[in-house]
Order: sequence, then C-alpha cells, then structure tokens
Amino acid sequence: MIHPRLHATAFAVSLALLSTGQRVQAQGNSELQTWLEAGALTTSRSGSLPLNALALTPGARYANNRMTASANGSAWLGGQQVQLGNAVAALEAFTPLLYGVRAELMANASRLFQDPLVQNDQLDAEGRLHLMRQRGGVWLGSGVARPLRVAAVSNVNVSSGGIWTRLGPATLRGSVTSFFFTKVASRTDTLENAAVCPAHFVAPSNPGANIMSSTDQSVSTGCRQQSRLTDVEGTVHWEHRLMEVTVRGGQRFGDKLDVTSESRQWASAQAAIWITSQLAAVAGGGHEPAQPTRGLPARSFGSLGLMLAYWPIPRGIVPVETPASLVHAFEIRPAGTSLQRLTARIGGVETVEIMGDFTDWAPIPLIRRGRDLWELLVPLNAGVHQINLRIDGGQWIAPPGVPTLKDGFNGEVGVLVVRQ
Amino acid sequence: MMVPSLRRVVLSSLVLLSAAAAAAAAQDTTSRVRELDPLARLSEGARYQVELLLDSAKVSGLPTTPLESKALEGIAKRADGRRIVAEVRKVFRSLRDARAALGPSASTDELNAAAGALRMGITPAELAHLVKTRHEKQLTVPLVVLSDLITRGVPRDTASQTILSLWQRGAADDDFLGLWRGVERDIVSGTAPGVALLNRAREIPSRGPPPAAPPASSARPDRSENSNP
Repeated sequence: MIHPRLHATAFAVSLALLSTGQRVQAQGNSELQTWLEAGALTTSRSGSLPLNALALTPGARYANNRMTASANGSAWLGGQQVQLGNAVAALEAFTPLLYGVRAELMANASRLFQDPLVQNDQLDAEGRLHLMRQRGGVWLGSGVARPLRVAAVSNVNVSSGGIWTRLGPATLRGSVTSFFFTKVASRTDTLENAAVCPAHFVAPSNPGANIMSSTDQSVSTGCRQQSRLTDVEGTVHWEHRLMEVTVRGGQRFGDKLDVTSESRQWASAQAAIWITSQLAAVAGGGHEPAQPTRGLPARSFGSLGLMLAYWPIPRGIVPVETPASLVHAFEIRPAGTSLQRLTARIGGVETVEIMGDFTDWAPIPLIRRGRDLWELLVPLNAGVHQINLRIDGGQWIAPPGVPTLKDGFNGEVGVLVVRQ
Repeated sequence: MMVPSLRRVVLSSLVLLSAAAAAAAAQDTTSRVRELDPLARLSEGARYQVELLLDSAKVSGLPTTPLESKALEGIAKRADGRRIVAEVRKVFRSLRDARAALGPSASTDELNAAAGALRMGITPAELAHLVKTRHEKQLTVPLVVLSDLITRGVPRDTASQTILSLWQRGAADDDFLGLWRGVERDIVSGTAPGVALLNRAREIPSRGPPPAAPPASSARPDRSENSNP
C-alpha cells in the first residue's frame, strides 16, 4: 500500500495530501519498487502541545521468489527543525513449498517516533511455518523482539498463529498473538525519593539482571513484573473495482494491570476510492490499542486525504519475461449482450494488452482503473476462445485462472469458455 | 549564379517531397491491404500454402476459422513463415481427425477442443470412447480440461483415463472445471500433477449414468443427414 498512514495520538485528525509511487523495474521474477510520500499532519496528546509537521517518507521494496526486503523512513519538518520520524527496515525470507508448507523468517529493525516524548527503537525476528493453499492458509510462529530505549521493558517473546482465506474479492485473516515480557518500573518517584515497589511488582534480587541495556539509572533499581498479553485480531480486506476497504477489529486478553480498559477492544477502517487512474480519495479512522512494549498509548485516529499517483514509464528496460505471478487476479464476467468485461489486477506495470481469436490476434490495450485494476469490454460470443495477455511489452502469456494449451509457437494460450 | 543554385535546391526538394509522398502513399496502401487481408503479412510462399490448406478445409467441410486464426496468431507472435504453415497444417490434420472421431454433428467448439486434445497426444481411439457415451452432452469442456491437464504435466494416460471415467459417471461441465481448479491449486502447492488429478477426481461424486439417448424422432438432426462426402 503506497499511501499515507498518518496516525495521530489522542484526539487528533491528520491530513494527508500527496503521495507518489512508482515501480522502477520488473524483470524476471524480481521486482524493485520505490515510492515517495509527502503529507502534512497534526498530532496532539493530552498534556502536550499539538505538533504540526510536514512529513516526507521515501521507501523502497525489493522482492523475488525467495525473499522480500524493504525499507522506509520519514523526515518531519516542524518549525525550523528536521526530525527523523518513523523508520523501518524489514527482511523476509521463504523456503520453497514442500507439500504445501513453507518456512518463513522475518526480521525487522524499526524506529518509532510519535512525538518528542514517545520515541524508541526495536529489533525483532520471527520464524513461521505456513501451510499454504491457493485460497487460504494457516501459520504458526514464534519470535523475539528487543526494544531499545524503552526503559521499562525487557525482551519480548512473541508467539503467533493465524488463518487466512480468500472469498471472492475479499481476503479474511484471523490471528492470535501472545506477548510475554518483563515490565520494569522505577523505584523512585518523580521527586527522586525512594519508593516502595507495589505489591504486584517484585523487587529484583540482582538489580539490573535481565534488564535491557539502558543508561537510565532508575531502571537498574526498578521493580519487575512479568506480563502476558494475548491479542485476537480479525481483518477483512475487500477490493471491488475502484474501491479498496480494510476493516480491523480485535480483543486483548490479559491482566488488568497490563491491559487498560481502552486497550481491551479496538476497531479501525481504511478505504481508498480511485477517482481516476491517478487520483484516489483515502480515508480512515478508528481506535488502536496501546503498544506497551513500545511505550505507545492507546489512541484514536482519523485521516482524510487525496492520493496522487504517478506511474512513470521505466526507461532503458527491456522486459525479457512476464512472470504470471504479477497477475493477481483475472476475471471475465458478462456485461450485456455479447459483451464480456475482462478485469485483471496487476500492480506496478505500465501497459497490459490482450489478444485472441476474438480480436483476430490484434493486441488491444486494457484501460487502467486505479492502482492495479485493468479493464476492457470485449465482444465475446458463447463458445470457446483463446486468449493471451502481455505486460509491459513482454512475452505473451496465458492469463492465470483459465485452462491453457500449448500454442505451437513456444508459448501457451489461455482457453476461455464463455457460456450462454 | 544564385538563380541556378536556387533552382537546383527547389528541384531537389520537390523530388525528395515527391519520393516521400509516394513512399507514404505506398505505406498507407500497404497498411490498408493488411487491414483488409491480414494474411498479406505472410510471405508469398507461406501464404500460398496456408491458402491451400484453407481450400482443403473447405472441401472437407471443416471450419476454416481455426486455421485462419492459427495463422494470424503466428503472425502476431512474429513466428517464422514455415513455422506458421507447419502449425496451420497441424491444426488442419487434427481437425480432420477430430471430425472423423466426433462425427459430423460435432459443433465447431467441440471440433476445436478435440483437435487441441489430439495435438496434445490424445488418440482418435480415446476420443471415440468419449463419443460413445456422449448422449447429447457437449464434449467441449472435458476436452479443454483434458488438454490443459496434459499441458500441466499430468501423464497422458492418467489424464485420459480419468476424464473418460468421470465422463462415463455423468460428470457435468462444472465438475470438470472444478476438477481443473483443484488440480491447478494442488500443483502450485507442490503436489505431483498425476497425484493431484487422481486425488481431486475422487472428490467428484458419481452423477449416475448419462440420460438415455432421445428417440430418433427428436429434434436432433440425424448424423447421416449432415455427413459430408
């Protein structure tokens, strides 16, 4: 998703104004994407001054069959100062599928900057076993996160499991994630007077042991508490023609000392509607739970904006292969008498063409409708038709999701069965 | 001195302009000819042979559209003229064999699908087995699925016997398309193509024996009436 996601703490509303994105290269089975987002935002929190800033977020993502690497960062310009904002570097590696199962390894390094008072870093790694089928899958995973510059938190053990499935244009995902960590509280009060650990906290026998490195003296003399949280979350992502909607909801289980009432349940929604092929309206809002391991409080947020997408033509690149995996969906539906609507979801490409016996094998370009939706009305009578698809002037391929035949010219054609 | 020089320049310009205009007109005419006659893009020799095959198809009572389509497909894919002629010839032969196996009442779609299956290695005898239990049902979808399964690596005999078995158990078009989707999914997930087909085929319930053939007085035309010489 190349669009602004500007969350504001507490009761803020943020505005995102501009975002640009482009695919630089797609060759063979690898792809490199770069993008640049720009926006203005306002955040506010009880007890602190509102922060108005301009945010600039460059990003890049490289993917091939075995791994995905991505990085993005943001710079906030507020007043006269430039401040490094959120930043993430992520690496995912996959093994080949063996009987439908693959192993996945994910590692991230991230920096969180919510406002000058809430900022920290985290390293985390997780391994997963993922049973995958065409329309769904199940995974189990385990990992560890190491927060830095968060004085009150030790290593975080993370266990997760989930299930996902595709139902038509919707993708449903459910997950259970358990966090286990040690919380550290200061034994001195705000006036630097010695304080007694609360009854539910345990004073360390060896102060400083098992505590994250920190220069904060209060930590080494803190009280420790083992905390366990379990998040159950469901997500529905629905794409239909020019609209993309994502709805999330969840419930957090845990001791009331670890889970505040405002983090027990959460829900949020985001939507993007493509007005033209290069302009979309985006809106979102909802409530997010606290992230105790990152010192981030629960917050409500709202966002509203316009996204301008720029899809430049790659220069100096001669596609040598069109991986069918670029085509995320290919559908054909009746659209009136003798007409069929062909739609394909192909992201990050410049041109999509089809040809077939119904065009006398003359290429016809599909029309872009939004970020990755391509569409064309074609006259197709009932019967069997042959079709080929071409992306960015590459090789002619058979579209996915239809039977195929060898074409006799070192390629394949798709076979469409159009019923009356 | 200026006048002859200027005259030469003007004359040269006129000659160049005329040549350019003539070339543009020729180009335009060529484009129009190609629009009206797409086979014009073939070399003279290749075109002659394709036209011979088209004539043979007409004489044999075979549809010519699949042959023309294959030639245009080859042109669009920038195939060599000889390759195009060879492929058109293959289509012609497979259509002829398909007609022999399916009989004269077969629709163009059935003929095309059967011709495709023959080109994938299915034998006319195997086609004839399918026809025996046809009972008014269209063979198009089972044959399309059969060809695809072989393309995806299912052993020819396994594919042929499985499709024939399902056909005899009364499987419908939706069953075959569902079977195809399931097999495709399993292959993508790493299952061997032949195993995937056998596993998925077991999931399709028997629909019972096909309906009895209608009496001779039904609207269905008698095959002998349509048979070609």
